[in-house]
This record gives sequence, C-alpha cells and structure tokens, in this order.
Amino acid sequence: MTSITMTLPVPTTGADAPATTFAGIPFGRLVRVEWGKATGTRAARWLLAAVGASTVGLMLAPLFSPSTIDQSYTSYLGFAAVALSILLPVVSILTLTSEWSQRTAFATFTQEPRRMRVITAKITVSLMLGAAAAVFGGLVTAAGLGVAAAFGRTLDANLNAGLLAAFLLYVVLNVMTGVALGALVHNSAAAIVASFVLPIGFALLGRASQLVAEWFDYSTTFNWLLNAEWSGHGTQILTSVILWVAIPLTAGLLRTLRREIN
Amino acid sequence: MITTTALTKSYGNARVVSDVSLNCEPGTITGFLGPNGAGKSTTLKMIVGLARPDHGWSTVAGVPFVDLPNPTRVVGTLLDPSAMHAGRTGRATLMIAARMAGVPTVRVEELLDRVGLADAADRRVGDYSLGMRQRLGIAQTLVGDPQVLILDEPANGLDPEGIAWMRGLLRDFADQGGTVLLSSHLLHEVQATVDHLVVISQGAVVASGRLTELLASSSLLLRTPDPDALARALDVARIDYHLGPDQSFTVDVLGGRVTPDLVARVALEQKVLLTELRQSDSGGLEQLFFSLTAAEPAPTKEAAA
Repeated sequence: MTSITMTLPVPTTGADAPATTFAGIPFGRLVRVEWGKATGTRAARWLLAAVGASTVGLMLAPLFSPSTIDQSYTSYLGFAAVALSILLPVVSILTLTSEWSQRTAFATFTQEPRRMRVITAKITVSLMLGAAAAVFGGLVTAAGLGVAAAFGRTLDANLNAGLLAAFLLYVVLNVMTGVALGALVHNSAAAIVASFVLPIGFALLGRASQLVAEWFDYSTTFNWLLNAEWSGHGTQILTSVILWVAIPLTAGLLRTLRREIN
Repeated sequence: MITTTALTKSYGNARVVSDVSLNCEPGTITGFLGPNGAGKSTTLKMIVGLARPDHGWSTVAGVPFVDLPNPTRVVGTLLDPSAMHAGRTGRATLMIAARMAGVPTVRVEELLDRVGLADAADRRVGDYSLGMRQRLGIAQTLVGDPQVLILDEPANGLDPEGIAWMRGLLRDFADQGGTVLLSSHLLHEVQATVDHLVVISQGAVVASGRLTELLASSSLLLRTPDPDALARALDVARIDYHLGPDQSFTVDVLGGRVTPDLVARVALEQKVLLTELRQSDSGGLEQLFFSLTAAEPAPTKEAAA
C-alpha cells in the first residue's frame, strides 16, 4: 500500500512551491510555547503562587494539631494532596479556556491549524505541571515531617512506593478533571465555577444515594485511590474517571475541533 | 496566491456567503469591500480555516490553508486586533508568534521598532488602544516573513497618520512580490491602497476587477453655450445623450468607444463651442457601493473596548 502511494508523482506547483518547503511545527516546540502561555501571565503566576502557598498552609494543620490529626507520613502527604487538588485544576482549566475567553484562538489556530496538536500540547503541559506540583507537594510534606521530627514527635513511617505512586496519580487525575472541564466548557468563569460546584453537588447527592457516592462522586473514589485502597474499588474509581475525565474530554475535543472561531 | 472557488456558507437558514470566488495575484493588493454584515469576515475565516465552508474550497500558495505545515511562514493573518490576551505584554505576544513560526527572537525587536511599539513593548495588551493593537497585530502577521497577508478591516482604530503608515507598509510588501487581501467597509479608505477590488453584498460578489477600471467613469459631461447646436451635432454623429441640469449633456462612453477625443472632433466638425468636456463625477462603482451601503443602518465600527 505504502509503496504504491509513494511512487505516485508529486505535482510541482512552480511559484507555489515555497509554501510547503517549511517543515511542520515540532510537537516539542508546541509544548514549550504552551508551557510559556500557561505560566507566563501575571494571573497564572499568582495562581501558581497560591497553589504553593496553600500547600504550605495546609501542612501547618497536622503540625499544629498533633492531638487530633494522625502523625504519620501518609497523613501529612494527604494534606499536600488535598491542597493541590483545590487550585491546580483551575490552572489547567485556564490553560484550555483562555484561548476562548481571551480570544487568542484566532492567532493560535492560524499558527497551527491542526487544533488537536495544540490541545494535546496543552494537556501535556497540564500533566507536566501536575507532576511538578506533586513533586513540590512531596517536598513540602518532607519539610513538614522534618519539622515534626524536630519537635520530637513520633511519626509513623507508613509510606511506600505504591502510596507515593497513588499520590502522583491522585494529583494528575485531579488535574485531568480540570483539563476535561476546560476543554468542554471554553468559558473560564463558568468552567471554574463548575469545577467547584459539581463535585459539591455530587458529594451532596452521594449522601442521599450510596450508588452516587461510590461510583460517581470522585471526592470519594479518588480518596480510595489516594489511600491505595484498590481492593473492591478499582471499577468504581475507573467509573468516576470515565465520568469526570474521559467523557467530558472526548466531548470537549470534538467541540474544539469543530468550533468556529469568533 | 489566494484562490477561493465558490465558497458558500449558511448559518441556519441564513446564507451569509454565496459562491464567492476570488483570485489574488502576487504583487497586488486586493480590497474586499462591502457593507458590514456582507460576509467579508466569514469569507476570510473560511480561507484561513477558522470556519468551515458548506461548499467550495480555497487555497493559499496553492495549498488549503489547514494543510500548510507552518502557516505563519507563508501567510500572515490578522482578523481581529482585539482578539489578543489582555494579560500578556506586546513583546510576549510576538515572542509566542516567533516561537511558533520558528524564527529567531531578534525578529521580535525588529518588528516592535518597525510598527512603532518599541516603547510600549512591556505594557500589557489590555492597556493598548485599538490602534496599538492593530499595529501589534500587523507585527504579528509579519513575524514569519510571509508571502501573503490576510487582514480584516486593518484601518479600524488607526488615525490618519496610522492609515498612511499602513498604506506604505502594504505597498512595500506588495512591491516585493507579496500578495495582500484586505477587507473594508469604506470605499474611500481602500481606494488609495488597493490595485484590485472585489465588492461583496449580502454574501455574493457583485463587482470585481482592477480598481482603475471599476472606478473609471462610465460617462462624459459636456457643456456648451449653444445646446441646440450640440444636440444636432451629437445626433448627426449618432451619439446618444441625456440632458442634465444646467444645460449639461451626459454621454455614455459605451465601454470606451466614445472618447473625449471623439466628442471634441464631432463638436469641431459642426463648429460647436464646448466650454466643458470631462469624465462625469460619479463612477459606476461608487454609485453601486453607495446604493449597497445606503441600505444598511449607520455603519458601526467594530471597535473593541
């Protein structure tokens, strides 16, 4: 098949030839540009600073409440995980929605008309930010534990590779809920509001219905994930990932590929 | 360099672009002229792949825009100067464009100078006036050193000095072999800039051709102290005429077969004194355009806050 298409004569178009002599934009370059966009504005820097500050801030909770909060490695790490899951998805949302809210889609999609590549680069940047934030969260946890040890507290060193991987996955999946919502909604304010209201709504519904709580409320299912409680919960975690990530992301990508730029 | 063939698009039942075919050649500036809402922006968006035509197709440099491997190296596009990130500086905006195009970032400094924004480069675009955004947008189109420019209402928001600057820039670009397609809703705005005109109304092309031909007057105006004698002379020469106000005569040029030279000779042969012989003021295109724009309410500037 390939050999046949490759032997077909390529039409030369004379004066028009220069158009195709430029190579396409390498994916690495798209990622670098999107990284710059995601982190380059004043708003983005404030938001990232707030992610850092809230992580450090929440780490004070187990430090100052040794009587009520379990003094263990996982307990401290859990505070970092919760801190990162609040604002980091907002960073991802803005990475996707700002093209529409700020109307830069005009420039972006005439610079690279293959919209799927641009969105893939944005998702890559979000995952990189998520991974970097997870590492940061780990470092803040280590610092918190160091301070606790310096206070002479006895700490339960109950952390293992599986729990660390679960922590990374938890942060990344929270980021992906933001990515999916941003890809689908296209409006910064609406997407951010939805990212806070929808989980609360599902958590409330979960109180009324055990089915909702155990399968669709990701605050419950992702918590199992964070604690690496896989047994019996694997399909429930997967179901909530399909509902909160796979479905909105797929719908959002289709919408982005088809949408007319206004 | 830019070709569209029967581009057609509807929104719901409303057909906004209907069989629009254009052809823009290297070394020329084509004005895409029509009242607001005539379908200019939609046509330009279809050319650069931001909107999808129902039928028809278009190519830039021989290739559909969306198949260009690195479009900004070939085509500079400015469709809406207000569509820029308000939180980025002018320099950052151009840096992104330069990185996407894969050109050295020194080009950014050159362009900031060239469009007169060097002093405002580190201010946020949100604090720019529309004219400054228009200049930044022009710089953005030039980043990849393209052969083609596609600009929607580039004169919007520019002061007279800015319009003259834009005119010189586009003329230079075309003189170096570039192709320019720009839209406008004001005839007088593009009259001094473009070589070719495509006039669009309600989604369809109603006139197109070289500016000089389209603007050429289709009739001659004559005046004489002796109208009866002139009328007889024109009758003898079998030239049709209309009597205008103030005893003026209007004669159709019939596509160039009736020239001022011919009319003068007819008058000379019949010994009729002519006190005035010239192209009449209102060209066909101007009348056509005014009839198109008169149908719409007061023109609205598509200015952004």
